[in-house]
Amino acid sequence: MLRLSTALAMALALPAAAEDFNFAVTTDPQTMDPHAVNSAPVLGFLNNIYEGLVRRGKDMSIEPSLAVSWEPIGDGEGWRFTLREGVTFQDGSDFTADDVIFSYERASSEEADTSSWFAPVSDVVKVDDFTVDIMTSAPNPIFPDSIANWMMMDSGWAEANNAVRPDKDQGNYATLNANGTGPFELVSRQPDLSTVLEPYENWWGDVEHNLTRVEMTPIQNSATALAALLSGDVDFINPVPIQDIARVEGNPDVQVIQGIEARVIMLGFDQQEGAAESGQGAADMFLDPQAREAVAKAINVPAILQTIMRGNAEVASQMVSPAMRGYSTENDAEYAFDLEEARTLAEEAGLVDQTIAFKCPNDRYLNDEAVCQAITAMLAQAGMDVTLETMPVSNYWPELRADNFDMYLLGWSPGTFDAEHPIRFLASTPNEEARLGSWNFGAYSNDRVDALLPMIQSEIDDSARQAMLDEVAGILQDEVAYVPLYVQPLVWGARSGIELTQRPDNFFILRWVTVD
Amino acid sequence: MFSFVLKRVGQSILVLLVTGLVAFSMFTFVGDPIDNMLGQERTMEDVERLRQQLDLDQPFVVQYYRFLEQAIQGNFGVSYRQGRPVAEILLERAPATLELALVSGVFAIVLGIALGVFTAIRRDGVAANVIMSASLIGVSLPTFLIGILLIYLFSVELGWLPSFGRGETVDVGGWSTGFLTESGLKALILPSITLGLYQMTLIMRLVRSEMLEVLRQDYIRFAKARGLSDRVINFRHALKNTMVPVITVIGLQLGSIIAFAIITETVFQWPGVGLLFINAIQFVDIPVMAAYLMLISVMFVAINLLVDILYAFIDPRLRVAT
Repeated sequence: MLRLSTALAMALALPAAAEDFNFAVTTDPQTMDPHAVNSAPVLGFLNNIYEGLVRRGKDMSIEPSLAVSWEPIGDGEGWRFTLREGVTFQDGSDFTADDVIFSYERASSEEADTSSWFAPVSDVVKVDDFTVDIMTSAPNPIFPDSIANWMMMDSGWAEANNAVRPDKDQGNYATLNANGTGPFELVSRQPDLSTVLEPYENWWGDVEHNLTRVEMTPIQNSATALAALLSGDVDFINPVPIQDIARVEGNPDVQVIQGIEARVIMLGFDQQEGAAESGQGAADMFLDPQAREAVAKAINVPAILQTIMRGNAEVASQMVSPAMRGYSTENDAEYAFDLEEARTLAEEAGLVDQTIAFKCPNDRYLNDEAVCQAITAMLAQAGMDVTLETMPVSNYWPELRADNFDMYLLGWSPGTFDAEHPIRFLASTPNEEARLGSWNFGAYSNDRVDALLPMIQSEIDDSARQAMLDEVAGILQDEVAYVPLYVQPLVWGARSGIELTQRPDNFFILRWVTVD
Repeated sequence: MFSFVLKRVGQSILVLLVTGLVAFSMFTFVGDPIDNMLGQERTMEDVERLRQQLDLDQPFVVQYYRFLEQAIQGNFGVSYRQGRPVAEILLERAPATLELALVSGVFAIVLGIALGVFTAIRRDGVAANVIMSASLIGVSLPTFLIGILLIYLFSVELGWLPSFGRGETVDVGGWSTGFLTESGLKALILPSITLGLYQMTLIMRLVRSEMLEVLRQDYIRFAKARGLSDRVINFRHALKNTMVPVITVIGLQLGSIIAFAIITETVFQWPGVGLLFINAIQFVDIPVMAAYLMLISVMFVAINLLVDILYAFIDPRLRVAT
């Protein structure tokens, strides 16, 4: 039996239309379920199909999406969202308050990976078909910012297809199929091979793109992806390998789009007392802030960026980049490179006679291994004896969890685009119950920071909030809790004549793409 | 005879079981899949719950036992990365690898034998020497580099052939084939050459040396004395007698073409089982890794079993000796 699909027959009969858009990504989204995996490849792609109550604009600001407006209730007891009327899901059913309630229950369930977004939420109440109250247990000024990726799913569709809850390990209908309200609908999905989208005709918004069909192909090998772009087989790749930027720029048929990501790369330290017993770590060498400062002063970050990043990244002064809400301009001075002082500090802190176990991933961040090698060499110049061990990220996190390190490399991209996010995950004293400090592998701890965090979270007044954020940033800098290194660059490659918008969250938003 | 076959089958099963055990003991070193399955805002509680759900808190022997228990019933589990049954994914990916292996196998055999005969007959000719020197490239350059070079030459510079993927495929009774479309056939060329180049040079050099050996034999001289034409001597008498060892090698190489397509598939983003395996390693997708490794070892064990049985048929002494 020979079965030719119509799409194939079309492809054979016609030369590809200009509005056919093919792009390559490094990581295939694991799932089409917007609540099953909270990762950038999944959420970034699904933003084209599903929509939330609010969304982020080209400049990352929060703007209305499925909600036309929102306002705080009373003294910060919650937020009232007024929903957009006349919105339909791609299967034709209407979007109403019931879908919001359903999506809340689904996304905050134990089976979902997005439940942490709803930790501050105490209740979600349907006022009428187009009004929803989301109650929070404490005033929460940045709640609308924190739900930009909370996507709405149709309750009827989920029930009919047995996908009322996400299923991470077994998968269900929503893993391979999608039904959102967004500008594109899923036409076919072959995991790992190809995912095809077409514009959704009845989308409520103004169409800005001119695409008629979009195909996404995962290409893991960066050399292959670059060749595919240069030969015209794909129109867009992300990322362009840093060492190839100059070559791509020299080619008139393609363009490089550069920016900086929200991700700050930093060094973390083992700051637990009695770390020596837990494995390779020597006795408490980084408990002394002076020791951490010695490391900070010994690293010449601009030199690393010039050589390894070929001038494509920015030096960081704190745990968030200047593009984030709550960035502390008061504390925007970086640790200045000073080899002499680093040497003195290292000697005073007793770092010189010890071997520092430095752990580093080799497939997680851009050129991570090369950066760690450079750091190792720089610390050696300041008289520190560093043993570097690099490994794939799948081995890396278990190693950090097992406390097998004195120093490690970490990149952090705040999901809420707010300075509060890294404080919650990286700077709070680890506390399983309160869901705090879950990525604070070195167990940095400061009582004042711990006390300020809940106040920051519930402060409605912007300037009071910023003052507290400044205070935390100052403490972290003074104590050298982490050594912020640089903001990771974003390097996209596209065929000439394609216009698009690059956002620091590294999401590729198709509705802003035009092809000439 | 029957007891011999039974014994061999028994040994093969033992080999399979041991391979599986070794594979599962290695999975512990590949890393932890949990961090890949959960986002950055997960709690340790989520991590522990998922670990228990997936039996990852159990020792590898227990994990292996559970895998075997399910595998016997034809259930290879669900992929951590794709959330779909592994058997379904493997069946979907197999045609790509098998077609690639077939085309590169045919390429290696046809061109290998032809060039082998040519270089043997014209052993002192310029062309033969050039081919012999050039064949060193096939033996010494890594597959990865050959693939990248071919892509840059034929896709980027000349723009003749696609740089990645399988092109358009047609579904024939559940088997997706690239043989029926122009883009599918074009897409096969570069990966097949990349994958088959090593095998081709191997066969070519083998045929050449066997040919040279045979051409020195007395019966060839007698044939020449009888006044037979060169063509009849070279192809009917000489080539036929070189084929016995060549066929043995081809048989064994076929398995490795399928098993070692991994690198070629990675370079060309060829959607076969090899690429699936590489992705599975990066993600620590244990069910996929386990099923793939078992599949490949079943294939190798089956080929060896078949060869053993064939030998026993040909050489009756083997039956008694065991």
